[in-house]
Amino acid sequence: MLKYILNRLFHSVIVMFVISFIVFFIMFKAGDPVQLLLPPDATQQDVIEMRHALGIDQSFIKQYEAFLKNVAKGNLGTSFVYGQPALEVVFERLPATLELSVLAMIFSILFGIPLGIIASIKPKAWYSKAIMFLSLSGISVPVFWTGMVLVLVFSVLLGWLPSSGRGEVYLFTSAFTWDGIKHLIMPVLTLSFFQLALILRLTRTGMMEVMMQDYIKLATAKGVPRRVVVYYHALKNSLIPLITVIGIQFGQLVAFTIVTETIFAWPGTGKLIIDSIQNLDRPIVVAYLLIISFIFVAINFLVDILYTFVDPRVRM
Amino acid sequence: MKKLSIAVAALALIGTMGVAKTLKVGLASGAYTMDPQAFNETATNSILSNIFDTLVRFDENIQIHPDLAVSWTNPEPKVWIIKLRKGVKFHNGNTFNADDVVFTFNRIKNWKKSGFKGKVSMIDKVEKIDDYTVKFITKKAFPVFLRKLTYVNMLDKETVEGKSDEWIGLHPIGTGPYKFVLWRKGDQIKFKANPNYWAGKPKFDDLIFRVLSNNATRTAAILSGEVDLINRVPVVDVNRIKNNDKLNTFVKPGLRLIYLQMDQFREKTPYVKSANGKNPFLDVRVRRALYYGINEDAIIKFIMKSFAVPAAQFSPSVVVGYDPSIKRVKYDPAKAKKLLAQAGYPNGFSVVLDAPNNRYINDAQIAQAVASSLAKIGITVKVNATPKSSFFPRTAKQDTSFFLIGWASSDGDGSSILDGVIHSKDDVKGYGRYNNGKYSNPKVDKLIEESDANMNPPSRVKQMQEAQQIALVQDQNIIPLHYQVDIYASSKKIKFAPRTDSRIWAFDIK
Repeated sequence: MLKYILNRLFHSVIVMFVISFIVFFIMFKAGDPVQLLLPPDATQQDVIEMRHALGIDQSFIKQYEAFLKNVAKGNLGTSFVYGQPALEVVFERLPATLELSVLAMIFSILFGIPLGIIASIKPKAWYSKAIMFLSLSGISVPVFWTGMVLVLVFSVLLGWLPSSGRGEVYLFTSAFTWDGIKHLIMPVLTLSFFQLALILRLTRTGMMEVMMQDYIKLATAKGVPRRVVVYYHALKNSLIPLITVIGIQFGQLVAFTIVTETIFAWPGTGKLIIDSIQNLDRPIVVAYLLIISFIFVAINFLVDILYTFVDPRVRM
Repeated sequence: MKKLSIAVAALALIGTMGVAKTLKVGLASGAYTMDPQAFNETATNSILSNIFDTLVRFDENIQIHPDLAVSWTNPEPKVWIIKLRKGVKFHNGNTFNADDVVFTFNRIKNWKKSGFKGKVSMIDKVEKIDDYTVKFITKKAFPVFLRKLTYVNMLDKETVEGKSDEWIGLHPIGTGPYKFVLWRKGDQIKFKANPNYWAGKPKFDDLIFRVLSNNATRTAAILSGEVDLINRVPVVDVNRIKNNDKLNTFVKPGLRLIYLQMDQFREKTPYVKSANGKNPFLDVRVRRALYYGINEDAIIKFIMKSFAVPAAQFSPSVVVGYDPSIKRVKYDPAKAKKLLAQAGYPNGFSVVLDAPNNRYINDAQIAQAVASSLAKIGITVKVNATPKSSFFPRTAKQDTSFFLIGWASSDGDGSSILDGVIHSKDDVKGYGRYNNGKYSNPKVDKLIEESDANMNPPSRVKQMQEAQQIALVQDQNIIPLHYQVDIYASSKKIKFAPRTDSRIWAFDIK
C-alpha cells in the first residue's frame, strides 16, 4: 500500500511538472502581455521597463528556470495584472468553485442514484419512462439555456431568488447562511442537471445488468428479501463504474464551471482563468492549471482507494 | 396582494425614517487592483475614482474642474503653481498636503510597473513650496498638463511609504467621497460614505459595485431590481428595458473611435495579393477609395443597431482639436471604383483584414461588414479576427497589412491620437507608438510637435486642425468608421447622468 502511494505520488509530480512546462511554453508563445497592460499613451521606454520589471524580457529557458526556482520555494510568481501572488489569487477564488461543484455533485448523487434504481427495477412503468425522458433532457439541454431560464423564471418573473452573485460567506462557504443558500440554489441546480442525468442513466444501466446475474437469482431463490437484494447485493456491484465516472465528473465540474459561473456572476476560478488567459497573465494561468491538475490527480487516487472498499477483488 | 401593499407601505415608512441608503451598480467588468497607480484601465479607474481624489477632475462633459487643487497658475510655459485645498483628510484621518502630492508623483515615476507613466512622463520635477502649494516643472511647455492630472490619484504618503506593492493593491486609502470596506474579487466591491468628504456627505451611505460580465445576467439584474444601475447595456436588450416603466435608459456618445489602418511603408506588404505585386495602400487614391467604398451607415444600422455615431475625424466634437469643417463623405461605390481604376487597380486586389474579436463592441462583425462592402468595389477582403491578446502584439510588430482598431481620446484632448497614431513612429521622441501603418508626413509631424508645446489654446487648436486636414483629408492616412456610444440603464428611483469619460462617479448620482 505504502509503495503504491509513493509510486502514485511520484507520477503526480511528473504529471504536474510536464503540465507546468507545456502551459508555460504556450503562454510564452501567446504574446506580449505588456501590450495589454500599458495604456496607449505609454512610450516604448515604458514598455521596455515594464517588460524588465516583470522578467519577461529574458529567454524562455531563463524564465522557466526562474519559475522552477521559485516553485521550489513555494512561490508561483506574482500576477502581471493583479499584482498579487498568483497562488493567493487562485486560492481566494477556489472555495467558491469547490462549493458549487461539491454541492452539485452531492445533489446529483442524492437524486441520481435512487431515481436510477427506481427506473431500473420496473423499466416499463410510466414513472420509469418519465424519469428517463427527463434525464434525456438533462443530458441534451445546454447549461447556458437552463441557467437563463431559471433566472428568467425565479428572478425576473417571480422575484424569489437573486439572479446572480454569491451570498454571505461564513467559514469559506456560503452554504451556512440563508442569504448564501438563496444565491446557491440556481447555480447548483444548473450545474447538476447534466451530472444528475448522467449518474441516473449509469445507475440504471448498471443495475439492469447486475439484476440479470446468477447470484441475484440465487439470492432471490434463497428467499432474501427484495429490498436487500436490490440495495445491498445489486447496488454494491453496480457501483464500481459509477465511482469511476463520478470521480472524473467531479474533476470536470471543478474545471468547467465556467459557463455556470458566467451566467450567475459567481466569483469562482472559471471566470478568473478566462480573464487571465485573455490578459496573458501567465502566473495565474500556470498556478490555476497546476492546482486543477493536482485536484484531478488527488481524485483519481481517492477513487482507486474507494475501489478496494467496494470491491475486495480489486487489489493494489 | 394586501400583504404586499402593507409591506410596501412599511418599507416606504422605513425609507422616510432615514435608513441607510445603498446604491448598487452592476458593471460589465470589475477592478483589477485597488492600487490607483498600477493598471490604467477604464473599469478600474472608474471604481477607484470614488475613493481617490485627483488635483483636478473631469465633469460629465470632460471639462476640467478643481478637485484637490483649488487654483493654478502657469507663470512660465514650463512652470505650474498649484494651490491645494486645505482641511482635507484621508480616510484614516491623516491630513492631505503638499508632501502627499510630491510622493504620489514620484511613486508613479519611479515604480517600473505603473501603468500611469504616460500621464506624468512630461513632468520633470514636483516641488513643495509650502504645505499647500506645489510647483510642477514640465520638460517642455505642456498644454495638456491639467488634463493628464485627472488620472493621478492622490495617495497618503504616511500610509503608503515603505509598504509593499501587494499591500497597496489591497488597501486603498484616499480622500474621496467613499471609503473602502471590502473587495470580494470577481463578485463585489463595497464602499461606504465618507462623512468628512470635503464637498459634503455623499447621498448614499453604501455603494456596492457588482461584477456582472455576462450581458444577459446584467440585464436580468436590473430587470429584477437587484441593482439600481448598469453600464454597457447589451444592444439587444435596450428595448426590453425601455419598455419597463421602472427603468430609464441613457445613451452617451463616448470618446472611442473605431478606424481602419493600412500599411503605408512597405513596397510589398505581406497580406496583399495584387496584379502588379505592389502594396496598393501606398497610393492615396486607393486609401480614399476605401473611405468612399465602405457603407458605414449600414454598419451602424445593422451591426451597431444605431448605437454608434458615424465618424469623420480623429476625435468626437467634445475633444480639443475637433474641426467642424471636416464632414464624412457620402458612401459612393462608383466613385470608389473609379479611384481604384485611376490608381491602377481596375480589378481590385485581395487583402487580409486583421481585427480583434473581444476588444471593441462588435469588432469582428464590423470587420465582416467592411469586407462585404469592399467586395462590391472589387477588393476581396478576408477577415482574420483574433483575440486581443494575439491581435495587439501582432499589430505592434506590423505583422499585418490592413487592420481594424480603436482609439479613445481619454484625456479629452486630440493630442493623444495625434501623438500616438498620426505622428511618424519615433521611439526616441515617444511618438507614434500605435502608428503601425507607419504613415509619415514631416509636415504633419512638425505641426503635431508644435501644437504639443503651444500654450496658446486658439492657435494650438488651429495647428491640430491643420495637422488633421493634411493627414486625414489630404493623405487619408486612416479610414474613420464610427465612435462608440455608452448605454446605461437605471432604476427610476435614482437620478443618474452618464459621463463622457464612461466613469461611474457615485457622488453625482442622487
